[in-house]
Amino acid sequence: MPSISSLYTALSGLTAQQRSIEVVSHNVANQATPGYRRQRVELSPVAVRPGFGDAGNGTRSGGVVINGVSQSRDAMMADRAVREQGALKTAEGVGATLGRLEQIYAEPGDLGIASQLQALWTSFNDLANQPGSVAVRTQLLQQADALTQTLHSAASTISNIRAVASDRVAGLAGQVNTLATELARLNASITSTPTMANDLRDRRDQLVAQLSELVGAQPHTTASGQFDLTVGGRSLVTGDQVYQIDGSGSTLTWVGDGRPVNAVSGEAAALLVTLNDITPRYSAALDSVAATLVQDVNALHSTGFDQQGVTGRNFFDPTGVTAATIELSVDVAGLPANIAAGAPVPPLNTAPGPLDGDIARQLARLADSAIGADSAYRSMVGSLAVEARAADQSTRVQADITDAAMNDDASVSSVSLDEEMSQLVTAQRAYEASARVLTAIDDMLGILLERTGLVGR
Amino acid sequence: MRITPSMMSAGTLRDLNANYARLTVSQQQMSTGKRLSKASDDPVVASASMTLRASLGRYDSFDRSTEDASGWLGAADGALTAGLDRLVRAKELTVRAGNSGGLSDPNARAAMASELRAIRSDLISLANTSHNGRAIFAGTSSGDAYSSSGVLLGNSAVVSRDVDPHTVMQVNVDAIAAFGDPNAPAGDLFAVLDRLANAAAAGDVTALATAHADLDAATSRLGSVTVEIGSRGAQLEQIAARNASERERITTLVSSTEDVDLAQVMVQLKSRENAYQAALQVASKVLPPSLVDYLR
Repeated sequence: MPSISSLYTALSGLTAQQRSIEVVSHNVANQATPGYRRQRVELSPVAVRPGFGDAGNGTRSGGVVINGVSQSRDAMMADRAVREQGALKTAEGVGATLGRLEQIYAEPGDLGIASQLQALWTSFNDLANQPGSVAVRTQLLQQADALTQTLHSAASTISNIRAVASDRVAGLAGQVNTLATELARLNASITSTPTMANDLRDRRDQLVAQLSELVGAQPHTTASGQFDLTVGGRSLVTGDQVYQIDGSGSTLTWVGDGRPVNAVSGEAAALLVTLNDITPRYSAALDSVAATLVQDVNALHSTGFDQQGVTGRNFFDPTGVTAATIELSVDVAGLPANIAAGAPVPPLNTAPGPLDGDIARQLARLADSAIGADSAYRSMVGSLAVEARAADQSTRVQADITDAAMNDDASVSSVSLDEEMSQLVTAQRAYEASARVLTAIDDMLGILLERTGLVGR
Repeated sequence: MRITPSMMSAGTLRDLNANYARLTVSQQQMSTGKRLSKASDDPVVASASMTLRASLGRYDSFDRSTEDASGWLGAADGALTAGLDRLVRAKELTVRAGNSGGLSDPNARAAMASELRAIRSDLISLANTSHNGRAIFAGTSSGDAYSSSGVLLGNSAVVSRDVDPHTVMQVNVDAIAAFGDPNAPAGDLFAVLDRLANAAAAGDVTALATAHADLDAATSRLGSVTVEIGSRGAQLEQIAARNASERERITTLVSSTEDVDLAQVMVQLKSRENAYQAALQVASKVLPPSLVDYLR
C-alpha cells in the first residue's frame, strides 16, 4: 500500500540520479584536465525492512542512498607511473649533458680539435721543409694559437655546462620546497575534509608527479590516506610536516642537518651526475690532451736550436697544462724566429746549420704517436660517443617503460566518453522512471484523498 | 584493459612523434649526405672515421714533403748532369793538350787555359744551384755552397724529408761527396780544374798528366753521386705513386664509412614518409568519434 514514505523512496532515486548526472558532467568537463581522475557516485540501496511502509518512527525504508563520490585510482599503478616519470627525467638529463658535450667537439668533421691538431703537425712539417721561411714560421704560430683558442673555448663550454647545472640545482631546491609545502598543506586539508577531497587528491597526485620528476621523491600512502614523500630514504614530507632542502653550492643538502640529499632519480639525479661525474671526467680528459700536447712538443722543442743557435726554449708555456690555460710560451709567442727547428748535432749536441729542420720534422712525427695528444683526443671522443649512445638508448627504453606505466594508470583513471555517455543515458532514464513512480504514487494518494470517505456523504 | 580517448590520443601522438623522428633522421642523412650527424650516432664508425681522417691528414704532409724532396733531387740531378757534360769537355781539352805538340802553340795554350777556367766557374755556379731559395749542396748552412773562387762554405749536414710513414729520405747531396774534399792531397774538383788550367797555360806536361788523373777521379766521383741521386729519384717516384694510391684508398674508405648510400636512404626516406602519412590519416579517422557522435 503506497504511503508517504514511498514518496521519499522515489525522491531518493531522483536525488541519486541527479547526483550521478552532476558527476558525469564533472567528468566530461574534466576529460582533458591533466591529472584528473574520473569520479563515480557510490550508491547503495536502503534495506527494505519488515513492517514495510511504517515510517512513523522517522526512519526510511527502501530507496537509494548516496555513499559518496569516489575516485578511480589504483594506488600501485599511480605510484609506478610517478616513479618511472622520475627515472625518465634522470635518463633524459644525463643524455642531454652528454649531447651538449658532444656538440663541443663536432667530430668527425673538418672543424674539430682533431683537424686543428692535424693542421699543427702539417705546419711543423712545412717548417721542416722550409726552416728559413718566415711565412711558414708565422703560419705555424698562428696554427698553434688557433688550437689553444679552440681548447680554451671547449674548456669554457664545459664550465658553462657546469654553471648552468649548478644554477639549476639552486632553482630546483626552491621549487621542491614550494611544492613540498603545498603537498603538506593538501595532506592537512584532505584529512580535515575527507568528503570534499577528490579534486584536492588530483592536485596532490600532480604535485607528487612533479616532485618525482624533480628529485625522484617516492610516495608512501599512510593509513590515514595522507601521502608521505621520501627522497633517498629520508622524509621530504610527513603528513603536514616538510623537511626542506638547500641547493646552494652546486649540491643538494637537507636544511635540517646539512647532510647531502641522496637523489637517485629525477632531474636532480641527472644534475648531480653532471656536476660530480660527467663534466669533471671529460674536463680532465680534455686537460690531459692539452697536457700531453704541451709535454710532447716541449720535450722535443726544448732540445732544438733556432736559426741563431739558441736552444732550450719551450714552444708551449710549461705551466699551462690544462685545456683552459694552454698557451704559447713567451719565448715564441709573436716571435717566429725563435721557433727551434734545428736538431742538435752529435756527438756534442752543438748547434746545427741555420737551415736545419730536423726537430720540426720530428715534431711533425708526433702525429703518429700512439700515446700522443691526437690519440688521447680520439679515444676521449670515442668514449664520449659510446657513453652518449648508451644514455640515448637507455632514455628510449625508459621512455617506453614510462609510457607503459602511465598508460596503465590512465586505463584506470582517465575519462571514457563512451562510459560517461552510457552513464548519462542510464541516469537520465532512471531519473525519468523515478519521476514516473513519483507521479504514480501521487496519483494513488490523490485517489485515496479524493475518492475515499465519500460513502455516507 | 580499459581504453579511453585520452589514452588513444596520447598513444597516437607518441607514435606520430616516433614516426616523425625517424623521418627526420632520413631527411638529415639525405640533405647532409652523411650517415652520422654526431659521433654517438654510431661510435664505431665515428672512431674509424676519425682515425682515417688522421691518416689522410698525414698524407697531406707526406705529399708536400715528397714534392719538396722531388724538387731537391731534380735540382741536384740537373746540376750534376750538366756538371758531367762540362767535365767531358774538360777531359777533351786535357787529352788534346796531352797529345804530342798539343801545348807547343802559346796561343792554343792560353785558349785552352781560359776555357778550362770557364768550365771551372760554370761548375762553381752549378754547385751553387738552389731549390726554393736554398743552395742544395750547402747542407744546413745558409747562403752559397761555394764562394765564387771555389772555397767550400757549406756544411755536410744531412737534409731529410718524411716521405711516407716509414721512410726518412735524405734529399741533399754532401758537397764533399760530389765535388771532393778540399783538404785531400788532390784537392776538390775546383782545385783540380785550377791546376789543369795552370798546367795548360804553363805548358807543364808533368803537372798536366797528374791533374788529368785527378780529373778522372773527380769525374767518376761526380758520376757515381749522379747515379745515386738518380736511384733516389726513382725510389721517391715509387713512394709518391704508393702514397697516391694509399691516399686514394683512405679517401674511398672515409667516404664509405661516412657517406650515405643515396639510393638506400632515398628508399628509406620514401617508406618513412609513407608511414608518417599513413599514421596521420589513421589518426584523423580514429580520434574523433565516440558515443557522443551517435547519441541524439
